[in-house]
Amino acid sequence: MNEQENKNIGRREFFARTAKAAISIGAAGVAARLFYDAKGPQRGGKAEKLVTLPDFSVPQEAGRTISVVKGSDRIKSINKAIELLGGIKRFVKSGEIVVIKPNVAFATPAMLGATTNPELVAEVVRLCYKEAGAKEVFVIDNPINDPASCFMLSGIEKAVTAAGAKVIMPTPSLFANTTVKDATLIKDWPVFFGPLEKADKLIGIAPVKHHHRSGASMTMKNWYGLLGGRRNTFHQDINGIIAELAVMVKPTLVILDGTMVMMTNGPTGGSISDLKRADTMIASCDMVAADSCGCELLGKKVSDLPYLAKAQGCGIGTTNWQSLNPATASLS
Amino acid sequence: MNQNNTQFSIGSGRRTQNRLEPVISISIIAILLAIAATLFVRQADTDISRFGITAPSLQLTQKPASEAENNPVIQAPAGFDKLSEAEVYTAENLYEKIDGKAPLYTEAGFLKLYCQRFVNKTDANLWMEVFLYDMGNLRNAFSVYSMQRRPDAKTLSAFVQMYGYGTSNGLYFVYGRYYIEMIGSAESDQLVMAMLETAANIQKNPIAASDLKIEELDLFQSENLIPDSMKLYLKNAFGFEGLSDVFTAQYKIGSQPITVFFSKRPNAQDAEAMAASYRKFLAENGATVKQTTSESLKNKVFDFYGATEMIFTTGKFVVGVHEAENQDAAEKAAMILAVKLSGGNKAKQ
Repeated sequence: MNEQENKNIGRREFFARTAKAAISIGAAGVAARLFYDAKGPQRGGKAEKLVTLPDFSVPQEAGRTISVVKGSDRIKSINKAIELLGGIKRFVKSGEIVVIKPNVAFATPAMLGATTNPELVAEVVRLCYKEAGAKEVFVIDNPINDPASCFMLSGIEKAVTAAGAKVIMPTPSLFANTTVKDATLIKDWPVFFGPLEKADKLIGIAPVKHHHRSGASMTMKNWYGLLGGRRNTFHQDINGIIAELAVMVKPTLVILDGTMVMMTNGPTGGSISDLKRADTMIASCDMVAADSCGCELLGKKVSDLPYLAKAQGCGIGTTNWQSLNPATASLS
Repeated sequence: MNQNNTQFSIGSGRRTQNRLEPVISISIIAILLAIAATLFVRQADTDISRFGITAPSLQLTQKPASEAENNPVIQAPAGFDKLSEAEVYTAENLYEKIDGKAPLYTEAGFLKLYCQRFVNKTDANLWMEVFLYDMGNLRNAFSVYSMQRRPDAKTLSAFVQMYGYGTSNGLYFVYGRYYIEMIGSAESDQLVMAMLETAANIQKNPIAASDLKIEELDLFQSENLIPDSMKLYLKNAFGFEGLSDVFTAQYKIGSQPITVFFSKRPNAQDAEAMAASYRKFLAENGATVKQTTSESLKNKVFDFYGATEMIFTTGKFVVGVHEAENQDAAEKAAMILAVKLSGGNKAKQ
């Protein structure tokens, strides 16, 4: 480039340079538009689409909405409780895929009652396969704290695997974001959706436990284990989150194990002395009714657990479980 | 005007500018490239938890902190091996370990949790987990200990100088600023022995040995005191935010246990302000003043949905009774405590 060329440029050169500059600016704009993320970082999970959990419920039948069985043997009790509701075939059809959600929140031995009893979960697996002819049974939970240890040390993995079920560990790819209608808490939040997407039926199995924050942990609180993300923030509004979980999940059946009840120091417990024998098994298509019945095993009233009234207010079920004409039995 | 004058004269012949142009251009491009590279690196390693959100992938994997490896306190007892790696939790992620019970600790000054599982070398069914909560100071540690104390558990001889007890599958005690739990997988003598050995090892550590006794607990009259019923509420005692640093104890007077309480305040005015605020709280929530034969307790005894509540002051102390069934027994228990707190003199209302 000589001095003369730099001194003066022609009209053609001027327009060429102007065009190049315009193209550069335009290209930068197009690139910025392509890379622009209007939503910003999401609360984990797949930001690109929101999912809705399927409705797994079955039609309610008068007198067959809730059953309460007294007995010390969990296996006999759960068989009787389901029989009183019409049998497992009412809930699971041949060839269906069933997801079971026990409480596997802690890596503690089964005898402490902080997790669902493994033999009880295994018996429900057996019923699904042998009695109802289920195609597949999956057992899921998202314990946060080292899921593999929780499933192993609670004894649930060994028991359900022996019964033919498959444990699905929570991995990031199995989470998707959901928003619950009219919710203030579960908005664009990751849930353990992968196994539920393919399932035909969903059964929740929870122990009756005292809970430091909510007063009690039963079938509705059990769905907390489907949430991903930094879910501890929801403990600030524990009644609100339990009610929203009840709106989010429409299970086929819930089972509330009150054979041994954690009366104090929940939800972790830690001592056998925290437990009290109550010899009660509850099965229900109405989880509000199940938990309302179960809270009595903790010596609590429905009014002691505000989330029950909240869930009832959302139309999930009734706190007046007696009004459902519960089917009862007492096993010797 | 020559031919050159008919052309546009942009960049007309300044030698110095011509030399600078490429230098400036290259510098600007270099700066832009540096900015782009920085953005790329930063975005590739974004800590979105700073915004209060966490991707599932961040919370699904147990991440034992390397600090745990340097924790000298928890040692494997004889005949036991490590079952899992040591873990450390802070207030930020304690919920990952104990879920809904985390607020009990975090609201009481919790700093760190060290935990470790050990398994019997010959019987894999015998394992235990040791939880060592660093609560910052003895009072915080005692508070969380007392809130969870199993009422029927027995105090062990190993803990005569401390606050501690055992159940059929666990050991629970306070050692200085630490609250320690050892939870066994079964009811087993072997596990209990291993726990006692582990506890002894912890007590050999001098890190917390200088602070083992809470003097205020001696202010409770020992007569009729239900053993090991004492608790410390650091805040929100009885569901009221205004009641903090409240010690409670249960007395057997009559057929029902009576819960008495006190809180030591900086001065008498502060004590009276606390008592007055609690009386107001009770009244606002439906409590009604009860008649009493004690002139000094007038307007300080309440019926609260069938239970008797009482609160008054003696010097720097706020004194009261919580949820008593029998008013006479409640007044008697409260006055005994008040006399003890005022150094044997009659309580000043």
